[in-house]
Amino acid sequence: MKSNISSLVSGRKWILVAAGLPILVAAWWAFRPEKLWINQKVSEPAPFASSTDPQPLYTGRLEGRAHQTSGRATIYKTPDGKQSLRLTDFSTSNGPDVHVVLARSDDANLTQEIVKGQFDSVELGSLKGNQGDQNYDLPASVDLQEYNAAVIYCERFHAVFGVARLEQF
Amino acid sequence: MMVRNVKTLLALAALAFTFGASAYAQDGMKHEDKAKTLETGTFHGKVHSTSGRATIYQEADGKLVLRLTNFKTSNGPDVHVILVAAKDADDNANFLSSSTERVELGSLKGNEGDQNYEIPSNTDLSKFKTVSIYCERFNANFGAAPLEKF
Repeated sequence: MKSNISSLVSGRKWILVAAGLPILVAAWWAFRPEKLWINQKVSEPAPFASSTDPQPLYTGRLEGRAHQTSGRATIYKTPDGKQSLRLTDFSTSNGPDVHVVLARSDDANLTQEIVKGQFDSVELGSLKGNQGDQNYDLPASVDLQEYNAAVIYCERFHAVFGVARLEQF
Repeated sequence: MMVRNVKTLLALAALAFTFGASAYAQDGMKHEDKAKTLETGTFHGKVHSTSGRATIYQEADGKLVLRLTNFKTSNGPDVHVILVAAKDADDNANFLSSSTERVELGSLKGNEGDQNYEIPSNTDLSKFKTVSIYCERFNANFGAAPLEKF
């Protein structure tokens, strides 16, 4: 019994323990491996949140296709549930019979300049101006998970002027 | 002779109008200006699966605030929110070794959820274009959000 304890206490084992412990602590401090399983969730309100203002739901930058098009497309929702698309910093080329539509961002037509065949879209109205900030009302029934791209579309020539992929704000 | 000149002029004017004119729309936004949204962008970062949106607001008194929404990253030691003077940043980018200029916004409050960070008032946002979730201990970029004008 006595010899067991003395053999434990004496010798190199203690040196190993004495040296190993700080290394273990240092490794823990550096890597904090428990954080792999522990989430720290916060939920701060916007410092200026106002329930009466329209809230942005989705937004995206416009990319030019058939014509140079730039700016931002954002979908807002008012407290009473009305949704609208707003274009800002917007610029495209002027043209005949140009419309603002919503389409599916994975629609192959949107990668091309000219739409061939079926084009699944939701009409929002004629383009009010080829430059400047402008709002378009959305039909109440439109599913924005499905129609998640804003498109500047020339009906006469089936030309896609520009596309904005809308992502959650 | 005069009449024909006038007609030609009118025709030319009509042509010029059709091709040259640009229609300018200016719809307003119905809200009292409490805070202006200046810039926004989404996070990318595969190594530490970082996602969500970063938006910079300017409050009515001029204060700049960075807000993270739908935010998620991996938890880690000594993680900070910084702005870097770059257009974008790669996963695990080391801003110390690349001596990229940065602005410290504070320790990451949580690895999930909506959170706000104050931006020093003298920060030049035209220069610091990217938000980075940065692990100071290992000098590694967890995720970056390149900002674009809202």
